[in-house]
Amino acid sequence: MLKNFVELWEYRELLLALTMREIKVRYKQTFFGAAWAILQPAALTIIFTVIFSIFLKVPSENTPYPVFAYSALLPWTFFTTAVSFGALSVVNNGSLVTRVYFPREVLPLATVGAAIFDFFMASIVFIILALIFQIHFSVNLLFVLLILPAVIMFATGISLLLSCLNVLFRDVRFIVPLLLQIWLYVTPVIYSLSQIPDKFRFLIFLNPMAPLVQGFRESTALGKAPNLSYLFFALGFSLFTLILSYWFFKTREKIFADII
Amino acid sequence: MNSVVEFKNVSKDFVTSRGKYGLLIEAISNFFSKTSKNKNKIHALKNVSFSLKPGEAIGIIGKNGAGKSTILKLISKIIYPNSGEIIVNGKIGAFIELGAGLHPELSGRENIYLYGAILGMKKGEIEKKFNEIVEFAELKKFLEIPIKKYSSGMYSRLGFSVCSFCNPDILLVDEVLAVGDIQFQKKCLDKMHSFAKEKTVVFVSHNLDAVAKICKKVMLIENGKIVKFGNAIDVIRTYVRNSKTI
Repeated sequence: MLKNFVELWEYRELLLALTMREIKVRYKQTFFGAAWAILQPAALTIIFTVIFSIFLKVPSENTPYPVFAYSALLPWTFFTTAVSFGALSVVNNGSLVTRVYFPREVLPLATVGAAIFDFFMASIVFIILALIFQIHFSVNLLFVLLILPAVIMFATGISLLLSCLNVLFRDVRFIVPLLLQIWLYVTPVIYSLSQIPDKFRFLIFLNPMAPLVQGFRESTALGKAPNLSYLFFALGFSLFTLILSYWFFKTREKIFADII
Repeated sequence: MNSVVEFKNVSKDFVTSRGKYGLLIEAISNFFSKTSKNKNKIHALKNVSFSLKPGEAIGIIGKNGAGKSTILKLISKIIYPNSGEIIVNGKIGAFIELGAGLHPELSGRENIYLYGAILGMKKGEIEKKFNEIVEFAELKKFLEIPIKKYSSGMYSRLGFSVCSFCNPDILLVDEVLAVGDIQFQKKCLDKMHSFAKEKTVVFVSHNLDAVAKICKKVMLIENGKIVKFGNAIDVIRTYVRNSKTI
Protein backbone atom coordinates (compact mmCIF):
# COMPACT_ATOMS: atom_id res chain seq x y z
CA MET A 1 0.00 0.00 0.00
CA LEU A 2 2.75 2.42 0.97
CA LYS A 3 4.62 1.61 -2.23
CA ASN A 4 1.50 2.56 -4.19
CA PHE A 5 1.32 5.95 -2.49
CA VAL A 6 4.98 6.65 -3.18
CA GLU A 7 4.46 5.83 -6.84
CA LEU A 8 1.30 7.93 -7.03
CA TRP A 9 3.26 10.83 -5.54
CA GLU A 10 5.92 10.41 -8.23
CA TYR A 11 3.21 10.68 -10.84
CA ARG A 12 1.60 13.79 -9.32
CA GLU A 13 2.57 15.89 -12.34
CA LEU A 14 0.78 13.45 -14.60
CA LEU A 15 -2.28 13.68 -12.37
CA LEU A 16 -2.18 17.45 -12.69
CA ALA A 17 -1.67 17.28 -16.46
CA LEU A 18 -4.54 14.83 -16.93
CA THR A 19 -6.82 16.92 -14.72
CA MET A 20 -6.02 19.97 -16.83
CA ARG A 21 -6.65 17.93 -19.97
CA GLU A 22 -9.99 16.78 -18.58
CA ILE A 23 -11.05 20.36 -17.91
CA LYS A 24 -9.76 21.73 -21.21
CA VAL A 25 -11.15 18.98 -23.39
CA ARG A 26 -14.55 18.96 -21.75
CA TYR A 27 -15.25 22.56 -22.69
CA LYS A 28 -13.25 22.86 -25.88
CA GLN A 29 -15.30 23.93 -28.88
CA THR A 30 -18.26 24.77 -26.68
CA PHE A 31 -19.45 28.37 -26.94
CA PHE A 32 -20.09 28.87 -23.22
CA GLY A 33 -17.00 27.00 -22.10
CA ALA A 34 -16.69 26.37 -18.39
CA ALA A 35 -20.06 28.10 -17.83
CA TRP A 36 -21.59 24.70 -18.56
CA ALA A 37 -20.32 23.61 -15.15
CA ILE A 38 -23.02 25.76 -13.53
CA LEU A 39 -25.79 24.81 -15.91
CA GLN A 40 -26.75 21.55 -14.28
CA PRO A 41 -27.14 22.74 -10.68
CA ALA A 42 -28.72 26.00 -11.87
CA ALA A 43 -31.26 24.26 -14.11
CA LEU A 44 -32.14 21.70 -11.46
CA THR A 45 -32.59 24.47 -8.90
CA ILE A 46 -35.13 26.19 -11.13
CA ILE A 47 -37.01 22.94 -11.82
CA PHE A 48 -37.01 21.90 -8.17
CA THR A 49 -38.17 25.34 -7.07
CA VAL A 50 -41.10 25.33 -9.46
CA ILE A 51 -42.21 21.78 -8.75
CA PHE A 52 -41.33 21.18 -5.13
CA SER A 53 -41.68 24.65 -3.66
CA ILE A 54 -44.38 26.35 -5.73
CA PHE A 55 -46.46 23.29 -6.69
CA LEU A 56 -45.90 20.82 -3.87
CA LYS A 57 -44.95 23.29 -1.11
CA VAL A 58 -42.09 21.29 0.35
CA PRO A 59 -40.90 23.12 3.50
CA SER A 60 -37.39 24.49 3.26
CA GLU A 61 -36.37 25.24 6.86
CA ASN A 62 -37.23 28.97 6.68
CA THR A 63 -34.83 29.59 3.81
CA PRO A 64 -35.81 30.64 0.29
CA TYR A 65 -36.23 27.37 -1.58
CA PRO A 66 -33.78 28.19 -4.41
CA VAL A 67 -31.00 28.66 -1.83
CA PHE A 68 -32.18 25.58 0.03
CA ALA A 69 -32.00 23.48 -3.15
CA TYR A 70 -28.83 24.97 -4.58
CA SER A 71 -26.87 24.52 -1.36
CA ALA A 72 -27.57 20.79 -1.56
CA LEU A 73 -27.16 20.53 -5.33
CA LEU A 74 -23.68 22.00 -5.07
CA PRO A 75 -22.08 19.01 -3.30
CA TRP A 76 -24.51 16.63 -5.01
CA THR A 77 -23.59 17.77 -8.54
CA PHE A 78 -19.94 17.45 -7.64
CA PHE A 79 -20.58 13.88 -6.56
CA THR A 80 -22.55 12.89 -9.68
CA THR A 81 -20.08 14.56 -12.06
CA ALA A 82 -17.13 12.89 -10.40
CA VAL A 83 -18.77 9.48 -10.31
CA SER A 84 -20.31 9.49 -13.80
CA PHE A 85 -17.11 10.64 -15.52
CA GLY A 86 -14.94 8.68 -13.10
CA ALA A 87 -16.72 5.38 -13.77
CA LEU A 88 -15.88 5.65 -17.48
CA SER A 89 -12.39 7.08 -17.04
CA VAL A 90 -10.32 3.91 -17.37
CA VAL A 91 -12.25 2.48 -20.32
CA ASN A 92 -12.40 5.83 -22.11
CA ASN A 93 -8.63 6.10 -21.84
CA GLY A 94 -8.16 2.57 -23.09
CA SER A 95 -5.63 3.66 -25.69
CA LEU A 96 -3.44 5.03 -22.92
CA VAL A 97 -3.87 2.02 -20.68
CA THR A 98 -2.83 -0.42 -23.39
CA ARG A 99 0.19 1.58 -24.53
CA VAL A 100 1.75 3.48 -21.66
CA TYR A 101 2.60 2.52 -18.11
CA PHE A 102 1.50 4.72 -15.22
CA PRO A 103 -0.45 4.03 -12.03
CA ARG A 104 -3.97 3.55 -13.37
CA GLU A 105 -5.73 5.27 -10.48
CA VAL A 106 -4.49 8.55 -11.95
CA LEU A 107 -7.35 8.34 -14.48
CA PRO A 108 -10.33 8.33 -12.06
CA LEU A 109 -8.45 10.75 -9.79
CA ALA A 110 -8.11 13.20 -12.68
CA THR A 111 -11.87 13.14 -13.33
CA VAL A 112 -12.48 13.84 -9.66
CA GLY A 113 -10.00 16.71 -9.95
CA ALA A 114 -11.92 18.15 -12.89
CA ALA A 115 -15.16 17.81 -10.92
CA ILE A 116 -13.57 19.82 -8.10
CA PHE A 117 -12.90 22.58 -10.64
CA ASP A 118 -16.57 22.45 -11.70
CA PHE A 119 -17.57 22.63 -8.05
CA PHE A 120 -15.70 25.89 -7.55
CA MET A 121 -17.21 27.33 -10.73
CA ALA A 122 -20.67 26.42 -9.44
CA SER A 123 -19.85 27.90 -6.03
CA ILE A 124 -19.65 31.35 -7.61
CA VAL A 125 -23.34 31.09 -8.47
CA PHE A 126 -24.09 30.09 -4.90
CA ILE A 127 -22.41 33.24 -3.62
CA ILE A 128 -24.43 35.34 -6.06
CA LEU A 129 -27.60 33.55 -4.98
CA ALA A 130 -26.74 34.14 -1.32
CA LEU A 131 -26.30 37.85 -2.03
CA ILE A 132 -29.63 38.10 -3.84
CA PHE A 133 -31.55 36.33 -1.07
CA GLN A 134 -29.49 38.05 1.65
CA ILE A 135 -28.22 34.91 3.32
CA HIS A 136 -25.88 35.65 6.19
CA PHE A 137 -23.09 33.15 6.50
CA SER A 138 -22.11 32.29 10.05
CA VAL A 139 -18.95 30.88 11.55
CA ASN A 140 -20.47 27.44 10.98
CA LEU A 141 -19.41 27.86 7.37
CA LEU A 142 -16.08 26.45 8.54
CA PHE A 143 -17.69 23.01 8.77
CA VAL A 144 -17.41 22.97 4.98
CA LEU A 145 -13.70 22.31 5.51
CA LEU A 146 -14.68 19.03 7.11
CA ILE A 147 -17.56 18.16 4.79
CA LEU A 148 -15.79 18.78 1.48
CA PRO A 149 -12.88 16.40 2.12
CA ALA A 150 -15.41 13.74 3.11
CA VAL A 151 -17.42 14.24 -0.11
CA ILE A 152 -14.22 14.18 -2.17
CA MET A 153 -13.01 11.01 -0.46
CA PHE A 154 -16.35 9.30 -0.95
CA ALA A 155 -16.64 10.36 -4.61
CA THR A 156 -13.07 9.19 -5.24
CA GLY A 157 -13.78 5.86 -3.60
CA ILE A 158 -16.93 5.23 -5.64
CA SER A 159 -15.15 6.37 -8.84
CA LEU A 160 -12.25 3.98 -8.24
CA LEU A 161 -14.62 1.12 -7.58
CA LEU A 162 -16.89 1.76 -10.58
CA SER A 163 -14.08 2.53 -13.04
CA CYS A 164 -12.49 -0.80 -12.17
CA LEU A 165 -15.78 -2.68 -12.40
CA ASN A 166 -16.51 -1.00 -15.73
CA VAL A 167 -13.34 -2.50 -17.18
CA LEU A 168 -14.42 -5.96 -16.06
CA PHE A 169 -18.12 -5.60 -16.92
CA ARG A 170 -19.20 -2.93 -19.37
CA ASP A 171 -22.69 -3.19 -17.92
CA VAL A 172 -21.58 -0.65 -15.32
CA ARG A 173 -21.88 2.13 -17.87
CA PHE A 174 -25.62 1.59 -18.05
CA ILE A 175 -26.11 1.13 -14.34
CA VAL A 176 -24.38 4.33 -13.23
CA PRO A 177 -26.95 6.89 -14.53
CA LEU A 178 -29.82 4.89 -13.04
CA LEU A 179 -27.96 4.44 -9.77
CA LEU A 180 -27.29 8.18 -9.49
CA GLN A 181 -30.91 8.99 -10.24
CA ILE A 182 -32.15 6.75 -7.45
CA TRP A 183 -29.41 8.05 -5.19
CA LEU A 184 -30.67 11.62 -5.67
CA TYR A 185 -34.04 10.68 -4.19
CA VAL A 186 -32.62 8.92 -1.14
CA THR A 187 -30.42 11.93 -0.38
CA PRO A 188 -31.94 15.06 1.18
CA VAL A 189 -31.48 17.33 -1.83
CA ILE A 190 -35.11 18.12 -2.68
CA TYR A 191 -36.30 17.77 0.90
CA SER A 192 -34.73 18.22 4.31
CA LEU A 193 -33.35 15.45 6.47
CA SER A 194 -35.76 16.51 9.24
CA GLN A 195 -38.71 15.51 7.07
CA ILE A 196 -37.74 11.87 7.13
CA PRO A 197 -39.90 10.09 9.77
CA ASP A 198 -37.90 8.98 12.79
CA LYS A 199 -38.37 5.29 12.14
CA PHE A 200 -36.67 5.65 8.72
CA ARG A 201 -33.92 7.92 9.99
CA PHE A 202 -31.54 4.96 10.47
CA LEU A 203 -31.42 4.63 6.67
CA ILE A 204 -29.04 7.54 6.42
CA PHE A 205 -26.39 5.32 7.93
CA LEU A 206 -26.44 3.40 4.65
CA ASN A 207 -25.86 6.55 2.64
CA PRO A 208 -23.08 8.90 3.76
CA MET A 209 -24.15 11.39 1.09
CA ALA A 210 -27.27 12.11 3.18
CA PRO A 211 -25.52 13.59 6.23
CA LEU A 212 -22.90 15.22 3.98
CA VAL A 213 -25.40 17.01 1.76
CA GLN A 214 -27.55 17.95 4.73
CA GLY A 215 -24.47 19.12 6.63
CA PHE A 216 -23.30 21.22 3.69
CA ARG A 217 -26.70 22.88 3.47
CA GLU A 218 -26.86 23.54 7.21
CA SER A 219 -23.40 25.04 7.49
CA THR A 220 -23.82 27.25 4.41
CA ALA A 221 -27.42 28.29 3.69
CA LEU A 222 -28.88 27.70 7.14
CA GLY A 223 -25.88 29.00 9.08
CA LYS A 224 -26.12 26.35 11.76
CA ALA A 225 -23.87 23.59 12.96
CA PRO A 226 -24.49 20.17 11.41
CA ASN A 227 -25.17 17.09 13.50
CA LEU A 228 -21.63 16.19 14.54
CA SER A 229 -22.19 12.48 15.17
CA TYR A 230 -23.72 12.12 11.69
CA LEU A 231 -20.85 14.09 10.22
CA PHE A 232 -18.12 12.03 11.82
CA PHE A 233 -19.92 8.87 10.85
CA ALA A 234 -19.94 10.08 7.23
CA LEU A 235 -16.26 10.99 7.41
CA GLY A 236 -15.38 7.52 8.67
CA PHE A 237 -17.62 5.85 6.10
CA SER A 238 -16.03 7.89 3.27
CA LEU A 239 -12.50 7.09 4.38
CA PHE A 240 -13.37 3.42 4.68
CA THR A 241 -14.93 3.40 1.19
CA LEU A 242 -11.88 5.12 -0.25
CA ILE A 243 -9.40 2.68 1.29
CA LEU A 244 -11.43 -0.38 0.35
CA SER A 245 -11.99 0.80 -3.24
CA TYR A 246 -8.37 1.74 -3.66
CA TRP A 247 -7.31 -1.73 -2.54
CA PHE A 248 -9.89 -3.29 -4.87
CA PHE A 249 -8.64 -1.16 -7.76
CA LYS A 250 -4.94 -1.82 -7.19
CA THR A 251 -5.36 -5.56 -6.89
CA ARG A 252 -7.06 -5.67 -10.29
CA GLU A 253 -5.29 -3.00 -12.31
CA LYS A 254 -2.66 -5.40 -13.65
CA ILE A 255 -5.18 -7.08 -15.91
CA PHE A 256 -6.75 -3.85 -17.22
CA ALA A 257 -4.62 -3.74 -20.36
CA ASP A 258 -5.48 -7.38 -21.11
CA ILE A 259 -9.22 -6.88 -21.26
CA ILE A 260 -9.81 -3.29 -22.34
CA MET B 1 25.00 -9.76 -14.41
CA ASN B 2 24.18 -6.08 -14.63
CA SER B 3 21.39 -6.68 -17.07
CA VAL B 4 18.93 -3.89 -17.76
CA VAL B 5 16.12 -6.19 -18.74
CA GLU B 6 15.85 -9.81 -17.76
CA PHE B 7 13.12 -12.31 -18.68
CA LYS B 8 13.07 -15.61 -16.77
CA ASN B 9 10.75 -18.26 -18.22
CA VAL B 10 8.09 -15.70 -19.02
CA SER B 11 4.76 -16.89 -20.35
CA LYS B 12 1.81 -14.73 -21.29
CA ASP B 13 -1.69 -15.87 -22.21
CA PHE B 14 -4.53 -13.82 -23.53
CA VAL B 15 -8.08 -14.82 -22.84
CA THR B 16 -10.45 -14.45 -25.75
CA SER B 17 -13.86 -14.25 -24.22
CA ARG B 18 -16.88 -15.61 -25.98
CA GLY B 19 -18.81 -12.41 -25.52
CA LYS B 20 -17.82 -9.07 -26.89
CA TYR B 21 -16.33 -7.88 -23.63
CA GLY B 22 -15.79 -9.46 -20.25
CA LEU B 23 -19.33 -10.49 -19.65
CA LEU B 24 -20.80 -10.98 -16.23
CA ILE B 25 -22.21 -14.39 -17.12
CA GLU B 26 -18.80 -15.62 -18.10
CA ALA B 27 -17.26 -14.47 -14.86
CA ILE B 28 -19.94 -16.25 -12.90
CA SER B 29 -19.64 -19.47 -14.89
CA ASN B 30 -15.87 -19.38 -14.47
CA PHE B 31 -16.36 -18.91 -10.78
CA PHE B 32 -18.43 -22.07 -10.49
CA SER B 33 -16.58 -24.38 -12.86
CA LYS B 34 -12.83 -24.26 -12.89
CA THR B 35 -12.54 -26.50 -15.94
CA SER B 36 -13.88 -23.97 -18.43
CA LYS B 37 -11.09 -21.56 -17.61
CA ASN B 38 -8.55 -22.93 -20.06
CA LYS B 39 -10.83 -22.96 -23.05
CA ASN B 40 -10.34 -19.63 -24.74
CA LYS B 41 -6.67 -18.94 -24.34
CA ILE B 42 -4.03 -17.76 -26.75
CA HIS B 43 -0.47 -18.41 -25.71
CA ALA B 44 1.27 -15.22 -26.77
CA LEU B 45 4.61 -16.08 -25.17
CA LYS B 46 5.87 -19.45 -23.99
CA ASN B 47 8.77 -19.75 -21.57
CA VAL B 48 10.78 -16.87 -22.93
CA SER B 49 14.11 -16.08 -21.28
CA PHE B 50 16.72 -13.52 -22.27
CA SER B 51 18.63 -10.61 -20.84
CA LEU B 52 19.74 -7.24 -22.20
CA LYS B 53 22.78 -5.26 -21.12
CA PRO B 54 23.32 -1.51 -21.18
CA GLY B 55 24.73 -0.24 -24.47
CA GLU B 56 22.95 -2.90 -26.46
CA ALA B 57 20.53 -2.33 -29.30
CA ILE B 58 18.29 -5.29 -29.81
CA GLY B 59 16.05 -5.86 -32.76
CA ILE B 60 12.99 -8.07 -32.52
CA ILE B 61 11.70 -9.51 -35.76
CA GLY B 62 9.07 -12.05 -36.67
CA LYS B 63 5.71 -12.45 -38.32
CA ASN B 64 2.59 -10.57 -37.31
CA GLY B 65 1.19 -11.97 -34.08
CA ALA B 66 4.43 -13.74 -33.17
CA GLY B 67 4.62 -11.94 -29.81
CA LYS B 68 6.97 -9.05 -30.55
CA SER B 69 4.77 -6.30 -29.18
CA THR B 70 3.83 -8.49 -26.23
CA ILE B 71 7.48 -8.48 -25.18
CA LEU B 72 7.63 -4.68 -25.35
CA LYS B 73 4.43 -4.35 -23.37
CA LEU B 74 5.74 -6.72 -20.73
CA ILE B 75 8.98 -4.76 -20.42
CA SER B 76 7.10 -1.52 -19.95
CA LYS B 77 4.73 -3.04 -17.33
CA ILE B 78 1.63 -2.34 -19.39
CA ILE B 79 0.74 -5.99 -19.08
CA TYR B 80 1.99 -8.61 -16.64
CA PRO B 81 3.11 -12.21 -17.25
CA ASN B 82 1.05 -15.23 -16.23
CA SER B 83 4.19 -16.99 -15.07
CA GLY B 84 7.89 -16.29 -14.89
CA GLU B 85 9.74 -13.22 -13.76
CA ILE B 86 10.67 -9.93 -15.38
CA ILE B 87 13.33 -7.67 -13.94
CA VAL B 88 13.75 -4.16 -15.32
CA ASN B 89 16.37 -1.74 -14.05
CA GLY B 90 15.98 1.77 -15.34
CA LYS B 91 13.57 4.27 -16.72
CA ILE B 92 11.60 3.20 -19.74
CA GLY B 93 10.65 5.31 -22.72
CA ALA B 94 8.13 3.37 -24.74
CA PHE B 95 7.01 4.47 -28.14
CA ILE B 96 4.72 1.57 -28.79
CA GLU B 97 1.80 2.70 -30.85
CA LEU B 98 1.05 5.71 -32.91
CA GLY B 99 -0.76 8.45 -31.10
CA ALA B 100 -0.83 6.81 -27.68
CA GLY B 101 -1.11 9.49 -25.05
CA LEU B 102 -1.80 12.25 -27.53
CA HIS B 103 -5.17 13.94 -27.34
CA PRO B 104 -6.71 15.06 -30.65
CA GLU B 105 -8.48 18.13 -29.24
CA LEU B 106 -5.38 19.62 -27.65
CA SER B 107 -2.75 21.67 -29.43
CA GLY B 108 0.72 20.44 -30.26
CA ARG B 109 2.16 22.45 -27.39
CA GLU B 110 -0.35 21.09 -24.87
CA ASN B 111 0.27 17.58 -26.13
CA ILE B 112 4.02 17.85 -25.66
CA TYR B 113 3.44 18.70 -22.00
CA LEU B 114 0.78 16.03 -21.59
CA TYR B 115 2.76 13.30 -23.29
CA GLY B 116 5.87 14.28 -21.36
CA ALA B 117 3.93 13.95 -18.12
CA ILE B 118 2.60 10.57 -19.22
CA LEU B 119 6.17 9.44 -19.79
CA GLY B 120 7.02 10.56 -16.28
CA MET B 121 8.80 13.84 -17.03
CA LYS B 122 8.57 16.78 -14.66
CA LYS B 123 7.21 20.03 -15.97
CA GLY B 124 10.51 21.85 -15.54
CA GLU B 125 12.25 19.11 -17.45
CA ILE B 126 9.87 19.45 -20.39
CA GLU B 127 10.22 23.23 -20.37
CA LYS B 128 13.97 22.90 -20.61
CA LYS B 129 13.82 20.54 -23.53
CA PHE B 130 10.78 22.05 -25.18
CA ASN B 131 12.65 23.86 -27.95
CA GLU B 132 14.78 20.82 -28.73
CA ILE B 133 11.69 18.63 -28.96
CA VAL B 134 9.90 21.05 -31.28
CA GLU B 135 12.96 21.46 -33.43
CA PHE B 136 13.52 17.73 -33.74
CA ALA B 137 9.86 17.15 -34.62
CA GLU B 138 9.93 20.07 -37.09
CA LEU B 139 6.52 21.18 -35.90
CA LYS B 140 7.21 24.78 -34.96
CA LYS B 141 4.58 26.13 -37.34
CA PHE B 142 1.86 23.82 -36.07
CA LEU B 143 2.37 24.16 -32.32
CA GLU B 144 -0.85 26.01 -31.58
CA ILE B 145 -3.35 24.02 -33.61
CA PRO B 146 -5.20 20.95 -32.28
CA ILE B 147 -3.41 17.83 -33.39
CA LYS B 148 -6.55 16.29 -34.85
CA LYS B 149 -5.59 18.45 -37.81
CA TYR B 150 -2.17 16.80 -38.00
CA SER B 151 -1.21 14.19 -40.56
CA SER B 152 -0.22 10.76 -39.31
CA GLY B 153 3.41 11.53 -40.05
CA MET B 154 3.22 14.63 -37.86
CA TYR B 155 1.65 12.55 -35.11
CA SER B 156 4.50 10.12 -35.14
CA ARG B 157 7.10 12.90 -35.27
CA LEU B 158 5.60 14.54 -32.22
CA GLY B 159 5.38 11.25 -30.34
CA PHE B 160 8.87 10.05 -31.13
CA SER B 161 10.44 13.40 -30.35
CA VAL B 162 8.94 13.68 -26.87
CA CYS B 163 9.75 10.05 -26.21
CA SER B 164 13.39 10.29 -27.21
CA PHE B 165 13.93 13.46 -25.18
CA CYS B 166 12.45 12.03 -21.98
CA ASN B 167 15.90 10.60 -21.31
CA PRO B 168 15.05 6.96 -20.70
CA ASP B 169 17.52 4.22 -19.87
CA ILE B 170 15.64 1.84 -22.10
CA LEU B 171 14.02 3.03 -25.30
CA LEU B 172 11.33 0.77 -26.73
CA VAL B 173 10.31 1.48 -30.30
CA ASP B 174 7.60 -0.47 -32.06
CA GLU B 175 6.94 -0.30 -35.81
CA VAL B 176 5.74 3.27 -35.73
CA LEU B 177 8.25 5.12 -37.76
CA ALA B 178 6.89 3.67 -40.97
CA VAL B 179 4.51 6.60 -41.39
CA GLY B 180 7.21 9.30 -41.23
CA ASP B 181 8.89 10.44 -44.43
CA ILE B 182 12.29 9.07 -45.38
CA GLN B 183 14.14 12.07 -44.09
CA PHE B 184 12.51 11.86 -40.66
CA GLN B 185 12.92 8.09 -40.52
CA LYS B 186 16.62 8.57 -41.07
CA LYS B 187 16.71 11.18 -38.33
CA CYS B 188 15.01 8.81 -35.91
CA LEU B 189 17.31 5.96 -36.79
CA ASP B 190 20.32 8.21 -36.24
CA LYS B 191 18.90 9.25 -32.91
CA MET B 192 18.37 5.64 -31.88
CA HIS B 193 21.84 4.79 -33.09
CA SER B 194 23.53 7.41 -30.95
CA PHE B 195 21.24 6.53 -28.08
CA ALA B 196 22.26 2.89 -28.23
CA LYS B 197 25.88 3.76 -27.50
CA GLU B 198 25.33 3.96 -23.75
CA LYS B 199 21.71 3.05 -23.17
CA THR B 200 19.51 0.19 -24.29
CA VAL B 201 17.27 0.19 -27.33
CA VAL B 202 14.69 -2.44 -28.18
CA PHE B 203 13.50 -2.02 -31.73
CA VAL B 204 10.59 -3.95 -33.20
CA SER B 205 10.31 -3.60 -36.94
CA HIS B 206 9.57 -5.26 -40.24
CA ASN B 207 12.07 -2.97 -41.86
CA LEU B 208 14.98 -5.42 -41.86
CA ASP B 209 17.44 -2.90 -43.30
CA ALA B 210 16.78 -0.51 -40.44
CA VAL B 211 17.11 -3.32 -37.92
CA ALA B 212 20.39 -4.45 -39.40
CA LYS B 213 21.68 -0.90 -39.34
CA ILE B 214 20.94 -0.17 -35.69
CA CYS B 215 21.04 -3.49 -33.93
CA LYS B 216 24.04 -5.70 -33.39
CA LYS B 217 21.86 -8.44 -31.96
CA VAL B 218 18.50 -9.56 -33.21
CA MET B 219 15.86 -11.83 -31.75
CA LEU B 220 13.63 -13.87 -34.01
CA ILE B 221 10.23 -14.74 -32.54
CA GLU B 222 7.88 -17.36 -33.88
CA ASN B 223 4.62 -18.40 -32.24
CA GLY B 224 5.64 -16.95 -28.89
CA LYS B 225 9.07 -18.58 -28.74
CA ILE B 226 12.56 -17.29 -29.37
CA VAL B 227 13.78 -19.17 -32.41
CA LYS B 228 17.11 -17.49 -32.69
CA PHE B 229 18.91 -14.75 -30.79
CA GLY B 230 22.32 -13.52 -31.82
CA ASN B 231 24.28 -11.76 -34.53
CA ALA B 232 21.99 -9.48 -36.50
CA ILE B 233 22.96 -10.57 -40.00
CA ASP B 234 22.66 -14.30 -39.17
CA VAL B 235 19.25 -14.00 -37.58
CA ILE B 236 17.85 -11.81 -40.33
CA ARG B 237 19.14 -14.32 -42.89
CA THR B 238 17.40 -17.16 -41.04
CA TYR B 239 14.20 -15.16 -40.93
CA VAL B 240 14.28 -14.39 -44.63
CA ARG B 241 15.04 -18.06 -45.45
CA ASN B 242 12.22 -19.30 -43.17
CA SER B 243 9.75 -16.93 -44.76
CA LYS B 244 10.59 -18.14 -48.22
CA THR B 245 10.19 -21.85 -47.52
CA ILE B 246 6.65 -21.42 -46.23
